[in-house]
Amino acid sequence: MTTYEFLTTTWRWSFLLLLFCALALVGYFLAFRRRGRLAYLGGALAVFLFALISPVSALADGYLFSAHMVQHILLVLIVPAFLLLSLPRSFSLPRPFTALTHPLIGWMAGVGAMWLWHVPALCNAATTSSAISVIQTTSLLLMGSAFWWQVLAPRDAQRLSPAAGIAYLFTACTACSVLGIILTFAPVSICPVYQQPVDRLGILSSIRGQWGLTSERDQQIGGLLMWVPMCLIYLTAILAQLARWHSGPHPEKSNA
Amino acid sequence: MNGTTTAPASPATLLDPAEHWHHRLAWLSTVDHKRIGVLYLLTGLFFFVVGGLEALVLRVQLAVPKNHFLQPDTFNQLFTMHGTTMIFLVVIPVGLGFVNYFLPLQIGARDMAFPRLNAFGFWLIPFGGILLHFSVLAGGAPAVGWFSYAPLSETPYSSTLGVDYWAVALFVLGIGSVATAINIIATVICRRAPGMTMRRLPLFTWINFVNAFMIILALPVLNAGLAMLLIDRQLEGHFFLPFHGGSAVLWQHIFWAFGHPEVYIMVFPAFGIVSEVIPVFSRKPIFGYAFVAASSVAIAVLSMGVWGHHMFTVGMGRAANSFFAISSLLIAIPTGVKVLNWTATMIGGRLRFDVPMLFCIAFLIQFLLAGITGISHAVVPLDWQTKNSYFLVAHFHFVAVGAIVFAFFAAVYFWFPKMSGRMLSERLGKWTFWLMVIGFNMTFIIQHFLGLLGMPRRVFTYPNLPHWGWMNMLSTVGVLFMAAAALFLVWNLAVSFFRGKIAGDNPWNAWTLEWATTSPPPHENFHALPPIRSRRPLWDIANPDRPDPVVGENTSEIESPDKTKTGILTFIVSEAAFFAILLLAYLYFYARPQPGPGPRELDVPRTLVFSLCLFASSFTLWRSEIALGRQRRGSMLGWLVLTITLGGVFLVGQGMEYWKLFQTGVDVSTNLFATSFFTLTGFHGLHVFLGLVALLIFLWLAWRGDFAPGRSSAFEAAGYYWHFVDIVWVFVLLTVYILPLAR
Ligand code: HEM
Ligand SMILES: [Cu+2]
Repeated sequence: MTTYEFLTTTWRWSFLLLLFCALALVGYFLAFRRRGRLAYLGGALAVFLFALISPVSALADGYLFSAHMVQHILLVLIVPAFLLLSLPRSFSLPRPFTALTHPLIGWMAGVGAMWLWHVPALCNAATTSSAISVIQTTSLLLMGSAFWWQVLAPRDAQRLSPAAGIAYLFTACTACSVLGIILTFAPVSICPVYQQPVDRLGILSSIRGQWGLTSERDQQIGGLLMWVPMCLIYLTAILAQLARWHSGPHPEKSNA
Repeated sequence: MNGTTTAPASPATLLDPAEHWHHRLAWLSTVDHKRIGVLYLLTGLFFFVVGGLEALVLRVQLAVPKNHFLQPDTFNQLFTMHGTTMIFLVVIPVGLGFVNYFLPLQIGARDMAFPRLNAFGFWLIPFGGILLHFSVLAGGAPAVGWFSYAPLSETPYSSTLGVDYWAVALFVLGIGSVATAINIIATVICRRAPGMTMRRLPLFTWINFVNAFMIILALPVLNAGLAMLLIDRQLEGHFFLPFHGGSAVLWQHIFWAFGHPEVYIMVFPAFGIVSEVIPVFSRKPIFGYAFVAASSVAIAVLSMGVWGHHMFTVGMGRAANSFFAISSLLIAIPTGVKVLNWTATMIGGRLRFDVPMLFCIAFLIQFLLAGITGISHAVVPLDWQTKNSYFLVAHFHFVAVGAIVFAFFAAVYFWFPKMSGRMLSERLGKWTFWLMVIGFNMTFIIQHFLGLLGMPRRVFTYPNLPHWGWMNMLSTVGVLFMAAAALFLVWNLAVSFFRGKIAGDNPWNAWTLEWATTSPPPHENFHALPPIRSRRPLWDIANPDRPDPVVGENTSEIESPDKTKTGILTFIVSEAAFFAILLLAYLYFYARPQPGPGPRELDVPRTLVFSLCLFASSFTLWRSEIALGRQRRGSMLGWLVLTITLGGVFLVGQGMEYWKLFQTGVDVSTNLFATSFFTLTGFHGLHVFLGLVALLIFLWLAWRGDFAPGRSSAFEAAGYYWHFVDIVWVFVLLTVYILPLAR
């Protein structure tokens, strides 16, 4: 298969996914009507679909660790962020969930989502078994939401103060960068399934030849993706915190 | 403290009466931030002369082709000493000196949060400087370049003690910088005057506050690397020795993980200075305060992750190179934002071209050029051609001299009146300025072209190729101009100190708090502070009819957390960076197993038991704190003794582990597993030991019964440290003992 054929034919339209998105849209509309911020929801769903049906997903499915990493980042960091942004200000979490809004839990969820799913056994399992893959996707979305809640919750009072928010984001960024650094320099495969892919689509020769992605380089790119671009996402959030702090005269909260 | 009067002008007294009887020692034993600041600056000036003379000698050797004025090895020693001196003994101390003097003044504080720690941080600088230069007497200065690449810096290739002195000196200097950075953070967080909210901080203070975070994160990285290098050299470890399985590239990673932030650590004080001077001499507030403030944070965060751009030529692979190239280009954005802000501040202002402003304008232009050549280094193919050529030498001197030294000159002219009570001579100042501009550009512009013509850096001489001769000669002549400029500066300082025009409180009509007190400020800094509602309190006083808009809430309430706890938490962050490097280095070699002993040599069950003791000690210490809170002395003592015992038992357990390994003939020099294992656990054990010593001191204090209620926060702070050491052990235990079980 050539690269062009690959990019055009490997979209994995799944009826279930589309149905899920449609239901989400309807549900959202029923719940919030006019108060919602549809553009953000649209963004969340679009990125969500892109991560799961585009060729990235085909590649992540056993071919390329780096594609898996793209998917991972989109699902933990981008989709949940858009989801939270789409909530109207009046939104409150249902009772049982408020326990999850402790900053420590949010932090552990965000960082844990990165570390946990890169334990070799789990990473392998998620790639080979579709059931575990569904669990993975769901957990990534949930953990990402718990993480972002501290920063992007609908109301200001539910969020961390800007200074605390910066510390929260910076430490999370560091914790994930460390994992990225380990992945980049690891001489052994973190997720061995990607070493000898089963060539279901007949694309492997293009990947290894034309694209020049050996399995070592593939893992290196995966690590670098987690190390550098992901940090940029956190950095953007940090800058947003600073902007929030400098705009409007709200009381100064703790600086530590 | 909320009166509106400014301080009465009291005569400048160098000594207060109480100090008179030991006035000779007053400057040596001082803990006053202003004097410590001056000591920093004088030390920096002294080493600037030393490093400058070294540069002069280097340039004389390079003035003509095939010169034999210097031996090759002497040349290598000189550029190593020049680079190391300029970075660690000039730029860092001078930056910290200005911060020490002016940051507390700018926030209306009486002193730094920890005056004694401040003195400690300062005295490590001359100490480090002496250690570094002592190498000359101990067999020769280091000759391995300022980044001391392995394996050249290892015993087989550098067998004299030069590199050891270099490493110990930098280690000491690193500790000093971290101590001062902790102090800066605690001062800004805990010592602001009423009304000086974080959003109202002057930019010099804000930028150096951010810088302090970079220091506490980056310098421990260097110190971890230095410790590893010293273990290689002194204990025959193998970290960076390729033929024993070590990795020379790992040294590069560690060094530049420190080295790139270091570049920004050096330039941030300069950014701060320029952000103060330009508005004052443009008679306008800074354009886009929030952008300048936020872009500093962006730079600080980004700078931690782009070190790879120093290693494009190492062979990290195409993927890594591209990522680092892109992220390095990104860091240009916040830097550019700053330049735009400074320029925009000047546009439309009523510019006054006094000497400080002249230096800032030259700074802007030269920094712009440095930025352009800097970006060219992030372009990998270009970098392959110009790395290690004079193009690079020109680039970093445009930053180091054209930007940083120029900003320091601006600061000297700007703040000398405040420090001495007298103005520097404008006439001599203009001489300094123009000599500096001419000399600097003559020396370094031409070097770009030399580099493009192919002249490599760090060569002691060169063949007589077309144009190389006159270009090098021109470069050398420029140095003479700069030397003259330096003489004018020193002359100006000396003369003006005794005979300069009296400055008054606020000679430049500036707006920040350091100008609200006498020149020089009294021992306690302020007799009374003006109200602070905006970023320019003195403007508000001078223009009551059109004050600046109030920044943030209209309140003068300030939150000031406990300084001891803040300090300890900051310290813990820097310790965490240190251990992170040791852990990553352990993992790096764990993943590349060598023949010989490995993790299976370790006794896991026994270590688990001893680990439980350590973890339990965190619990007992917590109980002890509670008992102290409830004023139950007996119970507090009991829990504390238990804590110390448990910590001691853990150390005994570690000792047994070591003993068994030694019995079977395994020591640091056996193989890489042993080297990295002993380094990691050894440093942890050392920290446990130091924690025990601290707890013993508290035990002694509590025993004597003089545990004043006010001391409890110190006890809590020690507790934080103890818990931190335990948490580090969780990570060590997981990596060293548990991870191999998963195999
Ligand atoms: C004031 C005028 C200065 C002159 C004339 C000067 C001159 C030189 C010369 C001739 C070299 C050796 C180049 C080579 O052979 O490769 C050098 C290297 C260096 N200079 Fe300067 N320098 C000056 C100021 C500074 C300052 C202020 C810094 C502050 C950071 C600095 C940092 C360095 C460094 C890091 C090196 C590289 C040393 C190495 O290769 O290991 N220089 N300088
Ligand atoms: Cu750099």
